[in-house]
Amino acid sequence: MMGRTTYIVAAAWQGFWRNPVMSLASTFTVGLMLLLFAFFLATDRGLQAAVGVLESKVELALFLEDDARVSDVLALRATIETDPAVARVDYVTKAEAMARLEAIAEQRPDIQIVDISSNPLPASLEIKLAHAQDAPRVAADLRQEIGKGVVYEVVDNPSVVDKLLTITRVLSIGGVAVLLMMLVVALFVIVNTIRIAVHARRDEIEIMKLVGATDWFVRWPFILEGMLVGALGAVAALLIVVAAAGPVTNALVGFLEVVPLSFESAFLWQLVASVLALALGVGGGGAMLSVRAHLAK
Amino acid sequence: MVRPEASKGGSAELITLDAVSKHYPNGTEALRDVDLRIEAGDFCFLVGSSGAGKSTVIRLLIREELPSSGRVWVDGQDVARMRRSQVPRLRRRVGVVFQDFKLLPRKTVGENVGFALLVTGHSNEEAREETERALALVGLSQRRDHFPDQLSGGEQQRTAIARALVNGPRILIADEPTGNLDPVTSWEIIKLLLRVNDLGTTLVIATHNAEIVNALRKRVIHLDHGNVVRDEREGLYAA
Repeated sequence: MMGRTTYIVAAAWQGFWRNPVMSLASTFTVGLMLLLFAFFLATDRGLQAAVGVLESKVELALFLEDDARVSDVLALRATIETDPAVARVDYVTKAEAMARLEAIAEQRPDIQIVDISSNPLPASLEIKLAHAQDAPRVAADLRQEIGKGVVYEVVDNPSVVDKLLTITRVLSIGGVAVLLMMLVVALFVIVNTIRIAVHARRDEIEIMKLVGATDWFVRWPFILEGMLVGALGAVAALLIVVAAAGPVTNALVGFLEVVPLSFESAFLWQLVASVLALALGVGGGGAMLSVRAHLAK
Repeated sequence: MVRPEASKGGSAELITLDAVSKHYPNGTEALRDVDLRIEAGDFCFLVGSSGAGKSTVIRLLIREELPSSGRVWVDGQDVARMRRSQVPRLRRRVGVVFQDFKLLPRKTVGENVGFALLVTGHSNEEAREETERALALVGLSQRRDHFPDQLSGGEQQRTAIARALVNGPRILIADEPTGNLDPVTSWEIIKLLLRVNDLGTTLVIATHNAEIVNALRKRVIHLDHGNVVRDEREGLYAA
């Protein structure tokens, strides 16, 4: 038992260092692929957080006729609240709307309220949605109320969220595409690295098979060597991620302002686990492909 | 599964070829309808000119190749129909020695022999003990830590024999074991193989060495163009 394990591990280690240039080149390629993978995971997570924050701010506003009866308004509010896509409905009176405007004006010297004798602002119902993508439908439903004596206008402004959703989608599709290409390249490099390793040990493999070693016994050193390439690539990629995480996060926060890009440790562990799993999978899988091809001969 | 009448009565059949033919995709007919029975404890020579089919017989016995038709039985197992995963077990029961020794140049004599045990799942301890025993049998205990290029041809072949025997096979197959050796060394190797046979291992030796075959008067199986043309108990190299 002991002899077998030592043999396999030693053979994998020797295999890696027998051709160090090739091994390090493939480690580098795999590391690069993993770095890209980590970057996409983090960006995706960040954008999702951004969408979440913006979604929570999304509102539809119904501007109300000045002469609408309060009982009709409250009835409408009750109807809207039954829609499952709606998270909350707030009733903002004319006076409250004016108070908000005054509050804004106080902080902004460029806005001055010149005439406060009459209040031109309408009362409104402000609607918070559970999900941004429901905004167009809810808005369309509510537009039917226009002209019935209560609502005179429906304002929806989900365009920011729409854009962000589009960006997220494009980024993840593009990211997955680039990642897939990198994956193919990494796999190709590993398959070739292991092919060279197999070639260097073809006499040993021949004798192993002749004296009755199982196929798995022949394969394991190479699979382990592939995994070693993957694991070293993962360590390199993760070191770079850790080193770059702080500055990049700060830059992103400065750029997007609203995005709370503080990754909690749970996400970091997920990141480490995903990168490592992908690394071992690509390394071991590539080696497996390579050895299978040789043993099938 | 139907077994050939093995282990019934006195001598058990260890190797059986039943109407075996082998043709290669390029059209070569290496074996034609060959029947062959080799019993446990036999010592037999496979003779015939190059291309007569000796190597094909050997490759069929260790399942490096499959017959085009017919059945091959080794130690009670239908070689052609066994699953791929069963092949390693077969090879542990059939040791093979080649003309070119096939030793690993960067391993010592001891490591070359122990290699066969390590890669078949034995512990370091077992490998060490069995290697010592096999090296003692072939008379190479003193050479354990030498590398193949520090050995004579005869010593290299004895190392290969120790490696073939270390898993305790029932059958030892030798493909031109003396092909690269001078006459004196060849005799040493043959004497060693006779001793191995005395200890109970069945020997099948493909050879061109007429002098040795004629001197020993053992069983001779003569192949010609893929046919068994002669099979004699106490045969000579040529009829």
